[in-house]
Amino acid sequence: MNLTRRSVTAGLVAGVAMPAVLRSALGQSAPIRIGMVLPVTGPAADSGKYALTGAKIALDRVNKGGGVLSRQVELVTEDDQTTNPGAVLAFSKLAAQSDIVAFLGSIRSTQNHAMAPDILKTAKPVCFGGTDPALTKLGNPWLFRFRPNDSYSGRVIAEYGIETLGKKNWALVHSTDAFGTGGAKALSGSLDKVGAKIAIDQGYPNQSQDFTPVVLAIKSSGADVIGSYFTFDNDLAIFARQLRQLGVTIPWVGSASIIVAGAVKLAGPALYGTYGVADYAVDASPESREFAKLYGAVSNVAPDNYSSWTYDAIGVLCAAIAKAGDTDPDKVRAAILATQGYKGAEGEYNFDQFGDGLHGYNIVRNEKGSIVFDKHIEFTD
Amino acid sequence: MGSVLQLLFTGLGIGAVYALVALGFVLIFRATNVVNFAQGEFSMVAAYLMVVFAVDLGWPYWLSFLLSLGGMAILGAIFNLGVYYPLRNRSFLPVIISTIGASIFLANTVLALYGPQPQVLPGWFDAPGIQLGQVYLDSQYLLIIAVTILLVAFQYWFFEHTLLGKKLQATSQDKEMAALLGIPVATMIMITFVYSAVLGGIAGILVAPVLFVSIQMGSTIALKAFAATIIGGFGDVAGAIVGGLALGIIETFGAAYISVPFKDAFAFLVLILFLAFRPQGLFGERVAEKA
Repeated sequence: MNLTRRSVTAGLVAGVAMPAVLRSALGQSAPIRIGMVLPVTGPAADSGKYALTGAKIALDRVNKGGGVLSRQVELVTEDDQTTNPGAVLAFSKLAAQSDIVAFLGSIRSTQNHAMAPDILKTAKPVCFGGTDPALTKLGNPWLFRFRPNDSYSGRVIAEYGIETLGKKNWALVHSTDAFGTGGAKALSGSLDKVGAKIAIDQGYPNQSQDFTPVVLAIKSSGADVIGSYFTFDNDLAIFARQLRQLGVTIPWVGSASIIVAGAVKLAGPALYGTYGVADYAVDASPESREFAKLYGAVSNVAPDNYSSWTYDAIGVLCAAIAKAGDTDPDKVRAAILATQGYKGAEGEYNFDQFGDGLHGYNIVRNEKGSIVFDKHIEFTD
Repeated sequence: MGSVLQLLFTGLGIGAVYALVALGFVLIFRATNVVNFAQGEFSMVAAYLMVVFAVDLGWPYWLSFLLSLGGMAILGAIFNLGVYYPLRNRSFLPVIISTIGASIFLANTVLALYGPQPQVLPGWFDAPGIQLGQVYLDSQYLLIIAVTILLVAFQYWFFEHTLLGKKLQATSQDKEMAALLGIPVATMIMITFVYSAVLGGIAGILVAPVLFVSIQMGSTIALKAFAATIIGGFGDVAGAIVGGLALGIIETFGAAYISVPFKDAFAFLVLILFLAFRPQGLFGERVAEKA
């Protein structure tokens, strides 16, 4: 072959253009990437492990079924350190990767609030598990909730305590963070509507080492039932133990943290006989039982809401991308909002205009360490 | 009246834990002029060692306790050699940063080795507590208070009535003069670190059955213990004890009679007031520099 200027130029052009051509050809099979903010370090690191397990189970299932749009789906994680600044940093690191099409946010409402401004700027769908009702009323079109919010948990706690247990004089105990404050507000609103009395409304700071003042206040209030919104397992376990030590035996209906695996293990007998609202309960539906079976195959810890919402979020997100036929954020958003009748581990998802997918809760009971399903309460309003 | 006594008991119990950790701060500060920001992590590591020996391996509680403290003594020695000794001739800032680094390293090492789930450590006694009239006495808190009293008494005897104790005091007061008098300063500092690690370990093992064993348990206690040492008078042993006990009582009664959500704020409000009006603390000496 003669080396002419023309042949050298053609060779150079081909050499420079080839990678771009290859990229374009291979781009059709590049994985769909979903970002996930989760606690790897900090007080909630154990729950981060459960959340990742739930997401990975769903991911494996989707990928074994051929993926989405003929592409495998991949998870990219960042540690939020169980702090608000950590969550913002983690989300910004993920958001800086332009090929990430959607995100899984936090189960902690306070962290979702912290990330919300960046989520608005990024303009891509974010699935989250926090239950503060305000999160889907921020006017932020990119937030989609995969657990029933606390306006429902408050109504269910109130309805169950009053109608089923027959108790009308309530002691509210709640964390002072966004979740605890929002939840207590929802519960007290529901109690006011039915004319029940709130004997005491007691907030506490997270990671309190002692709850003696709170327990003594409950004792002297004359309350005949406790409603609670605890954020962290260790706080709940210390409170439960001191409650029993100081002789308080009134019924207790708590938010979902009262029946998560960590709290049940730490508190032991102190939580026997308590009730909890549980977005996830093993025996609530065939889908929740199936999730428990899949979870049991990879973990020796019982599944709970830390893992069930991420499992459902991946499932709904992948189904929405498939339905949209595209990873374009606006199309995926529209597809998520149009999701109706999707049966997940948490329940049946029927998304409303605000981005809330679930509208009811299960009531479960701690029977000597085993969590037993009692009933499901659904709201259609 | 029952409520007041209950609050007093709980305040003393948690205050005793702050006092034990504060003692560790003070001892290292007196020997090296440096605050050891890994003191809380000593408590955490010891608690995890107890979980390994007493829960995972099922060994007798007393044996697990001794082995855990033995482990802490080794950790204290390694800490001295790795974190303090290479920087001993530098100013205080590199050493402080080194201890902060060690604190993060210890926390994340335990996280990597053991995982993030909080663990349950049984208490020393089978009976969880005693009901005395209107007051419930948690057996673990009773043990914490009793051990604190014993350790303070031991420490007083050791430092005031033994030659080794006097050598340690001499080293903490003036390293150069102590060296001139033939006291092996490096060995004395090593002994101080080992003792502080064991002290922190005792605090962690005592409080673990109450607060559960978690990666964060050390830092939560250490912050309050640090405030206690400042309130008591930084560098003063009696001040560390009184500051710790006072802090436990202040935050417990503050929570009960003023506001539970502001419980943590009371401790730091008292700290700010002391720094503003009596920076030498309850027992410290006022130090001023002339131009």
